[in-house]
Amino acid sequence: MSATDCEQQGTGWGILEDLPGDPMIWVLIFSELAAFGLFLGAFVIARALHPALFAAGQATLDAHLAGINTIVLVTSGWAAARGAAAARAGERVRARGWLFGAMALGALFIAVKLFEYAGEIALGNGLETSPFFTLYFLLTGFHLLHVGLGIVILAVVSWGARPEGVETGTAFWHMVDLLWIVMFPIIYLVHP
Amino acid sequence: MIPDRLDIAWIMLIGLALATILVPPLVVSRPLFANALLLTFAALKGRRIVLDFLDLRSAPALWRGLVSAWVIIVVLFAWLASAIVALI
Repeated sequence: MSATDCEQQGTGWGILEDLPGDPMIWVLIFSELAAFGLFLGAFVIARALHPALFAAGQATLDAHLAGINTIVLVTSGWAAARGAAAARAGERVRARGWLFGAMALGALFIAVKLFEYAGEIALGNGLETSPFFTLYFLLTGFHLLHVGLGIVILAVVSWGARPEGVETGTAFWHMVDLLWIVMFPIIYLVHP
Repeated sequence: MIPDRLDIAWIMLIGLALATILVPPLVVSRPLFANALLLTFAALKGRRIVLDFLDLRSAPALWRGLVSAWVIIVVLFAWLASAIVALI
């Protein structure tokens, strides 16, 4: 193989090419992790400055519903990982089945979260109720948008069920899962 | 059917999620310990997702370390902030 062939085969992403899926999704994943990390850091600092206010806000949240949603999302992540494994093995129909399962569980996560929001709004809590609820609704709402976007991405990659496409879509989905795993205890459970 | 790496990761994640839900009664009596436990469970869950679901187990150490470090820094920062508030 000539040097020119090697250059033509490379996509110009350098060390990002060693990651599963399209390197572009990893640029997005690292950007999202940085943004959510800063956002969670701001939440933690605000809680340290106003512990009583944040404790009062946290006490009104439904940690059980959020716990159920954790189980829903990690199960969805497992289904997505199974879908990626099936796509790599060339089993496109099976891959689509697992990805549909992951999307259905993602939709269930959204439904549970909206039900939870409805309960919180019924108690009179909104974006402007307190700094706790401003950060709570922004953080969880931003995450919820990512769940919705993740479902759309999974739907697109499940169409062809090609290995690289599925790996790209599921990498985004696992990032959404990872964010929730960290957000859940920090927002709902950790005592200020 | 013999469970593979993905099944074992999922079972561990479910177990840790259930353990997380059981910790809150401890918060009243031993908040610092409970917070440490909750955030350790989160770090362990994050590690499983990074290695097995995101499939970074076979990726270069740089990427595996970078994503794992993100998880550890966020949970450690949350615990330190709660510890400082408790000790002041």
